[in-house]
Amino acid sequence: MNRHLTIAGVLWVVFTVLSLWGAMAMNPFPTVGAQEATLFDHAFRLMTYMGAPVFGFMMAALIYSVLHFRAKNTNAGAPTEDGPPIHGHGAIPKIWVGVTTALCLVVMIYPGLTGLAEIRADRSHDVEVKVTGSRWVWALEYPQGGFQADELVLPVGKRVKFDLTAPAGDVLHSFWVPAFRQKLTTLPGQMTYMYITPTQTGDGHSDAAFRVQCSELCGLLHSRMQLNVRVVEQAEYDKWVAEKVKK
Amino acid sequence: MAILLGLILAAVGFVIGTGATGLIRMSLGLPYWDTEMSWSLGYPIALLGWLAGVGGWKYWATEWFGGRPAISPTGVSRYFEFNNDHKVIGIQYGVTFVVLFLLSGLAAMLIRWELMQPGMQLFTENQYNSVMSFHGIGMIAVAVAILMGAFGNYVVPLMIGARDMAFPRVNALSYWLVPPVAVMLIIALALGGWDSGWTAYPPLSVLNNSGQVLFNLAVITFGVVSIISGINFIATIVYERAPGMTWGRLPIFVWGCLAGSMIAFFFTQGFAAALLMVLFDRVLGTSFFGATGGGSALLYQHAFWFYSHPAVYVMVLPAFGIILEVLSHMSRKPLYAYKYAVGAMLGIVALSGVVWAHHMFTSGMADYLHAPFLVLTEMISIPTGLIFLSAVGTIWAGRLWMRTPMLFALGFLFNFTIGGLTGIYLADVPTDLHLHDTYFVVAHFHYTIMGGEIFALFAALYYWFPKITGREFNETLGKVHFTLMFIGFQLIFIPMFQVGVQGMNRRVADYPEAYADTNYQLSLSGFLLGSSFLFFVVNMVVSWVRGRRAADNPWGAHTLEWQVSSPPPPHNFDEIPTIEEGAYEYGVPGARPHARLTGAADRA
Repeated sequence: MNRHLTIAGVLWVVFTVLSLWGAMAMNPFPTVGAQEATLFDHAFRLMTYMGAPVFGFMMAALIYSVLHFRAKNTNAGAPTEDGPPIHGHGAIPKIWVGVTTALCLVVMIYPGLTGLAEIRADRSHDVEVKVTGSRWVWALEYPQGGFQADELVLPVGKRVKFDLTAPAGDVLHSFWVPAFRQKLTTLPGQMTYMYITPTQTGDGHSDAAFRVQCSELCGLLHSRMQLNVRVVEQAEYDKWVAEKVKK
Repeated sequence: MAILLGLILAAVGFVIGTGATGLIRMSLGLPYWDTEMSWSLGYPIALLGWLAGVGGWKYWATEWFGGRPAISPTGVSRYFEFNNDHKVIGIQYGVTFVVLFLLSGLAAMLIRWELMQPGMQLFTENQYNSVMSFHGIGMIAVAVAILMGAFGNYVVPLMIGARDMAFPRVNALSYWLVPPVAVMLIIALALGGWDSGWTAYPPLSVLNNSGQVLFNLAVITFGVVSIISGINFIATIVYERAPGMTWGRLPIFVWGCLAGSMIAFFFTQGFAAALLMVLFDRVLGTSFFGATGGGSALLYQHAFWFYSHPAVYVMVLPAFGIILEVLSHMSRKPLYAYKYAVGAMLGIVALSGVVWAHHMFTSGMADYLHAPFLVLTEMISIPTGLIFLSAVGTIWAGRLWMRTPMLFALGFLFNFTIGGLTGIYLADVPTDLHLHDTYFVVAHFHYTIMGGEIFALFAALYYWFPKITGREFNETLGKVHFTLMFIGFQLIFIPMFQVGVQGMNRRVADYPEAYADTNYQLSLSGFLLGSSFLFFVVNMVVSWVRGRRAADNPWGAHTLEWQVSSPPPPHNFDEIPTIEEGAYEYGVPGARPHARLTGAADRA
């Protein structure tokens, strides 16, 4: 039995490495466009690192069992031989509960609760944008400049507060920019708030991560409820604002 | 014949219901017909007509008026009318839901066809939304009901040594409420559909097409099915166990059904109430969910998820039971850590009711609710981990019998590991804020429900097929089905995680060019997955009609259902058996047989 455990142990390491490699190779992250996106990518990677050994363990146990504990002549008649009578009354289940509980507590606290606290920590803002989602268009208003816009333009490095809402008679929508890794529902007749800090310039025309996408099923044209996002340098932003205000 | 009578009486009931509605409306000075109100009140009367017609009167209600209930026929015709035998009902459930599964699967194929390229090809946006919604609710219905409906009904009474369920007529009633649900959903689709998904979030579900009303009526009916069969399973398992079938000897599948039934019984009311409120908003002009009338859209989501999260455990707990059952019998080893597995199931029942708001992290609900629901949701991983321990401990050092049911059971373990681990990303708020409502979620729940429960369904189908039909299935076709399904499944759902993180959101008829390549690949993989079911259908139909006669106990399993003939005799046991040992004592020196049967030849 020890030899089985040793080989399975080696397989565990192999499958852990393989699954980590697979996850790295997939590298699914869109453009990192905001401080919040860095936080997300970090938490996501961390969970992958913690999940890989668990996945590797299951695969090692599964694949080794299938290869090695397979009965012979399984297509003919009923099985004749029984396996060893292991009931699992001993210490192993208790150790298992201990380990899974510990893992669970870790994920809960970090990156879970700490990440939550971090996202909520800074409620200051430099730029404010009022976003109204109605079937099936986004309306933007920059209250500081007193103008409306038909694309979301933000200065890089400044903290932005979004005031999200929908008209009272409308349906739910959800405001999401993949590059920022945050989304929040726009509730009819109510206000919700979202904060992000863009860290990277980008334009939705060349990068799908820079788009406002409705991400709560809202009926007919839900999939087309999009808006272009441009994150630009401060100077360009100022110019854009000046033009808007003039109109 | 009974079905025809049911349809006629349903039509009569509909006319009476709508007529009464119309007369009351006219007496109030309103026009006779109001589509949604007339449907809503015509439907319940039509439903009563249907139930009376398919045999509810002949076999049951006539007693209330001094009549004598008719005797059920034998032969094939008994499957097409009200029948109290749990084995007949099991087959009725099984066949109905396999058909619904294939129909909803066909919808999935159409969805993948539409999404193969950016832009609209096959559908208009409205058609897409309707087909997507139909796929959703169809599969949810299959997932909620098929394991307990088909195998719970057929196998649980046999496993516990009972002659039937505790309430056979309630059992028959629960089945005959199902066809109207399926028919109503298909009618809704034909009448222009509804575009609010299976979740039916208001205000959209209050403002959209009238197809929504049919959806609500159908799903409320389905809720009734869940609740009454939940009660029936609980009563059966608590009161109908044979002498000696102590809680510690109960087969694990029976535990899974008990746990799932408890959830169905405790929580289904939430969904039904929420949908009824939506109906009131539409038909009676109340304003539970409309902001203009002072309502709250979030209220619905709390009521809805209060059922719909526990519902995933209604799907998965019997699946856990099936998997552990198959793994133990086909590894020829005792079920590892049996008591921990039972404890885990009950732990999941307890936790299931306090995690619902993890579906609402981006809904705009109060901030203080996020942390507690994050913590409670993560805790689910502890009991789930114990199920995995039990599974791995069972196969380790066993004599693995690599037949089709075993392959599906092992496939379940692979898939559910991925499904479980990716759930952690969604339970943690910081990652969920991006992942919510993307294809990452789609991939995650397909890994748990399809890769998990539906793989368990096929394990169960192949495992109990010889018992239920008395025929052997074709092993080669079974293995081809497994191989294509397993590979197709991985190929479609692994890249979905990727495209979801990249920024493709779910429930969309169209998507940006950037995701075109992945979607093309997803569609091809989807068609491969879809093709695997052709082998399944051919195998089932041909084997059932002309397969070789199966032995009574082809798997050499210890549990009671295998100790009677295949298929079992009408009353299961000539005399109620006595249980003398656990169900999984494979290779245990000096273990007695699980059960002692008298009357018939003692096969144990």
